[in-house]
Amino acid sequence: MSTHAHTAEPLVADDWSGGTFPYRIGHRKLGMWLFIVSDALTFSALLIGYCYVRVSSDAWPTPFVFYPSIIFSTVMTLCLLASSFTMVMAVAASARRDRRKARRWIGATMLGGLTFLVLHIYEWIHLINDYGLKPFTLPAKWLERWPQASPLFGATFFAITGLHMFHVLTGVIYLGYIAMRIRRKTHEDVEISGLYWHFVDLVWMFVFPLIYLLSVDFHPPAH
Amino acid sequence: MSTRFGSLGNLMKRQDLILNAICVLFAVGFIVMALTNVRRAGNFISIDSLFITLVSLMLAGIFMIIPLLWAHENGVLKNLFAAEGDDTPVEPVEVHFAGSTKLFLIVLGALLGLTVIEVFLAYKDVGLVLMLTILIGLSLIKAALILAYFMHLRYERMSLVYTLIPMLIICICLLFIFFPDSFRQLGLRVYR
Repeated sequence: MSTHAHTAEPLVADDWSGGTFPYRIGHRKLGMWLFIVSDALTFSALLIGYCYVRVSSDAWPTPFVFYPSIIFSTVMTLCLLASSFTMVMAVAASARRDRRKARRWIGATMLGGLTFLVLHIYEWIHLINDYGLKPFTLPAKWLERWPQASPLFGATFFAITGLHMFHVLTGVIYLGYIAMRIRRKTHEDVEISGLYWHFVDLVWMFVFPLIYLLSVDFHPPAH
Repeated sequence: MSTRFGSLGNLMKRQDLILNAICVLFAVGFIVMALTNVRRAGNFISIDSLFITLVSLMLAGIFMIIPLLWAHENGVLKNLFAAEGDDTPVEPVEVHFAGSTKLFLIVLGALLGLTVIEVFLAYKDVGLVLMLTILIGLSLIKAALILAYFMHLRYERMSLVYTLIPMLIICICLLFIFFPDSFRQLGLRVYR
């Protein structure tokens, strides 16, 4: 139903007529968008599966006390949000062709991501060593407090936050690569790495409330 | 396409009309189905009734896409999907960046504020399902802010947005199909 049959194909037609750049973005950016959509479905499936198990269990451990777990995860959230902001600033600087500033802002973004990683690994070690949490076995003390609790707590926690942590790690490496070679990279490259980083941030906006905030310990036992 | 090829154009015009008529017919059929369901379901706010209504309306919407696009192409519906400044040709590598530092700071502030509200709400004991709903709702707002401003989707073409987002939302909604069973499983427990 093309209306442009008699003319040369325009580079950009109206929204639905195709053309050479039907979305007005390059093919690599479109590729990143498609990857993000598929990755979003992976995380949705995991998180919805977790919510399902969570709602269908009448006993679920709620072990996250204010310090260190909730404080740490909140600070981690702030780190990711701040790093998203610095990434936007990097893309803005790169749009002005100010590569030096873009590199600095990307460096700040990587710093936010690394802080996130360090705090999260500390949190994992705390759960594994201090409590004795395993993927399919709950610590004995937790079973005393939440009898018949689902052993899937560890599995869902480690799988979802682990997959997210892996995304943060690859994101930091990806950004490092872009920052290192920024002189040879176009604005679009910086923008694409920004898209990936914002997506990692976006996923954490669901992981944080569902994994951490739903398992807050209201009444921690007195020592 | 219609005037230049004479009879062929007329044939295509007729085909367009038939195709549109069929699509409109199906769309009307599904809307009638949704309305019948609303009228005949005893309790409308139940999972079954809402599900059937939503699916019917969704199918009606899908069938309406072709007639609406046709109408748009023939000038009946103008500027339905037009983005701003669409008629100026752009270069493939054109740098296209919108938004100011102030705007991004406002978005960052909103995201931080919503996070603090979430942490605050987490310490209110309101029951699991209500808490889950509130937290997911707030997170959806945050996700929309990140998508629209940080990921720049608000300033992209609508065709990109319509290609990426509706199918994602529909797939995620489909994942929720199994969800009501979790309430039944919870009810099966006897040792409480």
